[in-house]
Amino acid sequence: MTTSQPTNEMAEALRLALLRADPKLSRFDPLPRIISHDEFSNGHCGWSQLVGNYEDDLDTMLPGYAQHTGTMLSTLSHWDSGSHGGMGSSYALKVATRPRKGAQNVAIKRHTFRHRGRIRFEVYFTFKPEASELKLSETDVRSVGFLFDLQAGDHDKGGERVMPHLRFLNALDGEHVQKWQFKRQTTAFKPVGSGDKTLSHYHLAPEGWEDLPGGEQRLCYNEISTKVNWTYLRFDFDLETMKALDFQCNDRRFDMTAFESIRIPAMKNLWCMLNFCLFAETDTDKRAFLYVDSACISGDF
Amino acid sequence: MLPENITSVVSRNEIWTGKAASEPHEAGWAREAVIFVRALKEPKGPQPVARVEISPDGMRWVAEGAAAAMPAGRDGIAVMRVSHFGNWLRVAADFADGCESTVLVTMHLKA
Repeated sequence: MTTSQPTNEMAEALRLALLRADPKLSRFDPLPRIISHDEFSNGHCGWSQLVGNYEDDLDTMLPGYAQHTGTMLSTLSHWDSGSHGGMGSSYALKVATRPRKGAQNVAIKRHTFRHRGRIRFEVYFTFKPEASELKLSETDVRSVGFLFDLQAGDHDKGGERVMPHLRFLNALDGEHVQKWQFKRQTTAFKPVGSGDKTLSHYHLAPEGWEDLPGGEQRLCYNEISTKVNWTYLRFDFDLETMKALDFQCNDRRFDMTAFESIRIPAMKNLWCMLNFCLFAETDTDKRAFLYVDSACISGDF
Repeated sequence: MLPENITSVVSRNEIWTGKAASEPHEAGWAREAVIFVRALKEPKGPQPVARVEISPDGMRWVAEGAAAAMPAGRDGIAVMRVSHFGNWLRVAADFADGCESTVLVTMHLKA
């Protein structure tokens, strides 16, 4: 029999036809298995607050984590124009920093994986500072970005914990930088509490970001601080080789040859971890907001 | 589908002094909110009355009317219930000089 190839081609054509006829999924390019498809008119969809590790006392939590707050379901309500809304519903996920220069906030979705292969992370996002001034404020948001927190399975040889990070450095100290950066170093692990079971490291510390070669990109930043436009982002990563495969933001695809992830020895309790984080960081004493209209996480299995 | 129902921790292990407030929280999708303020440590000095505040824009705040005395002791809990709050919610309290409380503020929101 030699029918497997035509059958596969037909199955793939049928899959794509079904995807493209579905108004909710047609804007994405998911791999064959959709792990999650989040539209925030359906709720928070598991995007929760990244809480830091602690033991005995919350005071042991590292300051980077202590500043985090919960995600919100937002209609992007603005004082001058009312609710902006999302692409397919009134709601988007909102990640808001505190109003202090350098403040960050992180949303996390925690899964595990069942197959070490290609995964794809797609989101439609936008960002703005709090509209507390009648100014364009285009350099008030320092960065928005995402990271994965991954670890090999318990029977995998040489398993590591791997954390690919990418951020869009919008501005730094008032300069409108607009480029993608990655990170291969984290801060030292610190024991927290009185026992030896709990460690913590703040991998989103300001140090250690490196420019993605060719990663300069000017995104759409509309003309007052209450107008937003949704931006498409896609990141492909191979859980087998633990390497980035592809990265696209709107019409640009970036060469990921030089991209590296944070790599640390496997931890004793995080096997098959598949976590996704989204974060925002402010460059002024003003809140920065990351909004996500929708997200689709898929895998090739 | 079941109606959305979320517990959101809006202030965790924060030391409240002076004019204190939780971060603005958007919850226009929710019809009701129950807000708990727990003292994680022994409060210092006389404790004020906490109040729920609402806002047209997340930046300008007015008292909604719901209020409760801040916990007088460690692990004490104040509770406030609100509905008809529009979109924005926060909790605020004004502490006299030298007074403080380390708080855990949780909002329990239901569509």
